[in-house]
Amino acid sequence: MDRRRVAWKRLRDETRKDGTETLELGPMSIRLENVTKCYGRLRAVDGISFEVSPGEVFAFLGPNGAGKTTTIKLITGLLAPDSGTIEVCGRAMSMDDQTAKVQLAYVPDQPYLYEKLSAREFLEFVGEMYGLDSGTIEARSRHYMNRLQVAPFADQLAESYSHGMKQRAVLAAALLHEPKVLIVDEPMVGLDPRSVRIVKELFRERADAGFSVFMSTHTLDIAESIADRIAIINHGRIIACGTLEELKARAKREHRLEDIFLELTQPDPEAEAARSSVV
Amino acid sequence: MAQIQAGIHTSVRPDDRGRPGSLALLVRLKLRLLRNRVRQIADQSPMRLLLVILFLAVIWGALYAVFDYVFTFLRRFEQQSVIAIPLVFHVFVLAMTVLLAFSAAVLVYSALFARSEPAFLLTTPAHPRHVVAIMYLESLFFASWSLVLLGLPLMMAIGNVMGLPWHFYALFVAALLGFVPIPGAMGLVAALAVAIFLPRLARRTLLYAGAAVLAALAFWWIRLWSLTTSDSGRWLQDFLGEMQFLKAALLPSTWVTNAIRYAIEDRPADSLFYLGVTFATALFFSWAAVSFVGYYLLPAFASAQSGAQRSASVQGRASRRLTDVLFCYLPKQMRMLVLKDMRNFLRDPAQWSQLVILFGLLGLYLIYLPRSRPEGFSTQWQALICFLNQGAVTLILSTFTSRFVFPMISLEGRQMWLVGLWPMPRAEVMWAKFIYALTICGLAAVSVTFLSIRALQLPPAMAVVQASATLATCVGLCGLAVGLGARLPSFHETSAGRVASGLGGTVNLIASVVLVTVNVALVGVICYRLVEQGNLNRLDPLNVLLASLIVAIGALAASIAMKLGIRSFRRAEV
Repeated sequence: MDRRRVAWKRLRDETRKDGTETLELGPMSIRLENVTKCYGRLRAVDGISFEVSPGEVFAFLGPNGAGKTTTIKLITGLLAPDSGTIEVCGRAMSMDDQTAKVQLAYVPDQPYLYEKLSAREFLEFVGEMYGLDSGTIEARSRHYMNRLQVAPFADQLAESYSHGMKQRAVLAAALLHEPKVLIVDEPMVGLDPRSVRIVKELFRERADAGFSVFMSTHTLDIAESIADRIAIINHGRIIACGTLEELKARAKREHRLEDIFLELTQPDPEAEAARSSVV
Repeated sequence: MAQIQAGIHTSVRPDDRGRPGSLALLVRLKLRLLRNRVRQIADQSPMRLLLVILFLAVIWGALYAVFDYVFTFLRRFEQQSVIAIPLVFHVFVLAMTVLLAFSAAVLVYSALFARSEPAFLLTTPAHPRHVVAIMYLESLFFASWSLVLLGLPLMMAIGNVMGLPWHFYALFVAALLGFVPIPGAMGLVAALAVAIFLPRLARRTLLYAGAAVLAALAFWWIRLWSLTTSDSGRWLQDFLGEMQFLKAALLPSTWVTNAIRYAIEDRPADSLFYLGVTFATALFFSWAAVSFVGYYLLPAFASAQSGAQRSASVQGRASRRLTDVLFCYLPKQMRMLVLKDMRNFLRDPAQWSQLVILFGLLGLYLIYLPRSRPEGFSTQWQALICFLNQGAVTLILSTFTSRFVFPMISLEGRQMWLVGLWPMPRAEVMWAKFIYALTICGLAAVSVTFLSIRALQLPPAMAVVQASATLATCVGLCGLAVGLGARLPSFHETSAGRVASGLGGTVNLIASVVLVTVNVALVGVICYRLVEQGNLNRLDPLNVLLASLIVAIGALAASIAMKLGIRSFRRAEV
């Protein structure tokens, strides 16, 4: 039984202890159905469907320009799909995006921090934005700043941070309201090995606690080591989705993820030429 | 449009969503950012703060002196001043309406659709309307600086000349502040329209709209000029007839003007009535615009993000050919460097449009100038207009070099890993930048100067003085901008605007203004002496010496700045 099922079972057992009579399987953390997004004549995302369950670390892989960031922006509500439906924690983004947004946190590949705020001030702002009281903000800020090693530079202005420092500060801010769904785009870029280890542990802990982590990455080793399921997108289409074992079975060989990825995303010169002509 | 419409139709009303109180939180955030910025400047570069304050004080002082002179002059003509003073306000407020609407549109577009901040805020539970509201307030704050810069000395001058009581000042400030949101709201809706309908051409659209507005104003101004007749009574009648539309009762500029006018006439009740109308309209416009833009923010943001880039290959080939022609005398490596800067220039509408708009307007005025005096200009007028043109051309050049040429070396900071490894000395990098800037600025400035010479039908000697003074000032300004840009760089800054407004940029701006002032003053002395001699075509030894001095000052400024810059750039570590 994979880890997400274990986490889900634990949540169900805890619910039963509370005296709940029946238990329905809760809504999926993320659900995309036939989602399409075009930029002009280019179909950046082409009818994709997948689900992410509570308690799951979901890795989203794909070559450059495959549609990963567009998919993430669609899930977070920053882009509207041309067709299809997107749900976060059972809430349709097209109907109830504000309620859905309370349940999620997003860390983009280029983390945004106000240059003239310190990390501590930024966390305070984000906490207040999510309606947390000052005691909770202070306690959680301290916890995550220590955990992600933000504390040593927490009172410096963000303009002096390196990419890795920004990444850690933004991640701490994203976790402050304990989101049910954490969406991260290239979370390990710019992080030192110790920070990578910490972030990996954090993601795993969150998934084990019943939350979901949706992670877009090019670092296949990390996807291999912490993801419960992996989806590979190429030319805007999901070309593979499943556990590592399922992907290996599909590739019909006992490969590392890197080999499977390269095999599945092998460039097709004709398709590339046709695609570049519509850009 | 299909996807935008789909987004709009499937969305519920944003009014029902979002975290209550997020606007107060966003306001607190912006105030904290401002506080941190001011503290940082005060701690790290108090000199810069002092320089900015000094610079503002000088500008305010100069404007106050001009306004004070104008109103004192108008007061001499008791009857005419009754007509003229409100007319000055009508023109001032209407011009401010257009400028504020345009600058608010540019600022709001940038804040809502081009920066990373809204993308961050829109993934939080912040209410979209509150995100719009805070960006709107921010843009009003930044867009209204010109009103503060011009309005305060205007108010002080009127108050002083007319000897008005304290409540005039309170009513004046309230009228201006109450008026700002009206053009701001128009700018906000315009920015939304651009994001939804022209996301791929957003910057260009805003720039073209600005150029169209300026061109319309220029044509109107030229039309006023063309009213010139020998009968001054008829001229005044025609002129006032042309100005009549400014007083339309439904124009917000009329309400503000009336509020100020009644404050001057010590009729506070009437002034308060128009103030009330202005405030009520401003509040309604703001509420309507913020609600409307807030409702459509998400689909508009998605539309702005969806603007696919056009292929740059055709333009790339054209810019290469242009560079090969213009810089054929440069070694290939330097030419490649110039090509890179040339492509940046051509692909950044903010750069070329500033040159095209400012010099275009000046050119338009010079083309139409002879029509205002079909009988030709007298020697005095020729010299005076030549002197003023010289000032206008070199001042435009100094703003361009300060804003776009000065940051060029700083912006190479991020590419220093590449620049530092190039198989060419760093001094050549500097010279390539200098030659590039000189060519662009020189072509624009000399073209306008020739138009000026043609319009005024200047004799050869005076033409040579004006052309050589323009070129020498151009050399000096480009040298200062490139040299000081390397001597006082901000290598870690990515925004050209921030580099230009930094300490180095301020020093360069002051140096440029000093150079322009000295050279224009020398041209003024030459013009004065030629007028005294009654012949613009006779250069005596002193005038030749003065003309040579202008050339020498330009060359000296450029060579000193370049020498300092090259020395500094050679040692630069990033």
